[in-house]
Amino acid sequence: MTNVDKLHDELLGAWEETYKKGQLTLWIFLSLKEGPKYVSGLQESIQRFSRGTISAEDQSLYRTLRKFYHLKMVDFSAGKGHKGPDRKYYHLTPLGESLLHAFVERNILLFFEEPLRELLLNSSTTK
Amino acid sequence: MKIISRNLLLFAFLLLVYTLLFRFGLGALLTAELWTWVIIISVLYGAMIFFTAWTTGKRDGMENFLFDAGFRWNLTTFVVWGIASEAWFLLGLHSAYESIRVVHITLLIWSGFLLLHFILFLILRRRTIKGVHKTDIFE
Repeated sequence: MTNVDKLHDELLGAWEETYKKGQLTLWIFLSLKEGPKYVSGLQESIQRFSRGTISAEDQSLYRTLRKFYHLKMVDFSAGKGHKGPDRKYYHLTPLGESLLHAFVERNILLFFEEPLRELLLNSSTTK
Repeated sequence: MKIISRNLLLFAFLLLVYTLLFRFGLGALLTAELWTWVIIISVLYGAMIFFTAWTTGKRDGMENFLFDAGFRWNLTTFVVWGIASEAWFLLGLHSAYESIRVVHITLLIWSGFLLLHFILFLILRRRTIKGVHKTDIFE
């Protein structure tokens, strides 16, 4: 590995680290938009959706969900566990749905519009 | 989200134990006129309170996420220390070198700082939504 490659990897790592901060909420909301989920199911969805680039620890997810529940963005209902006790299946509340809709419209959908879409596609094919 | 949380109660209990041990040690050392040790146990007492408040407060922030700018911990210290110290004198457990006036003056000055802390908390509370600091909501 050359010095330039090493610098490239280091910078990419640092950029991704900064970029991922604050993203957990979006991944949680998108996963719950797919359907109600318990914590392990949510972890699996986040990993699957983000192609393994985002992972969240159990404790971090529990804490975040408790906070979102307190702020009425998510709610839960009890559902059957595999063999053990009932699990909490979390889902978005109407407030959570509305927040996701507004956030995506204001911050995400612009990436699908020209000229950003074209620029992003070009960036991914050229190096 | 609880105002009187498990971590706050643990802190209050440990503070009470530290204060009673400190009062007992202080009285004994003053009576024996061991001045250097008086300073040492006073510093140790302060450091233990700080360390315990730091660890329980940090854990409460992780579990409870109620933003209070540390005011609940300051108020708890004030109440527990005040009651324990007053009781110590009322029960006549103090040494000849100790005066209840020192406790009253300390509580009076401390209540002024407590009021300032409460005002600071009220100001900072504007940056919260339903008691959670805005920067702590979305991760």
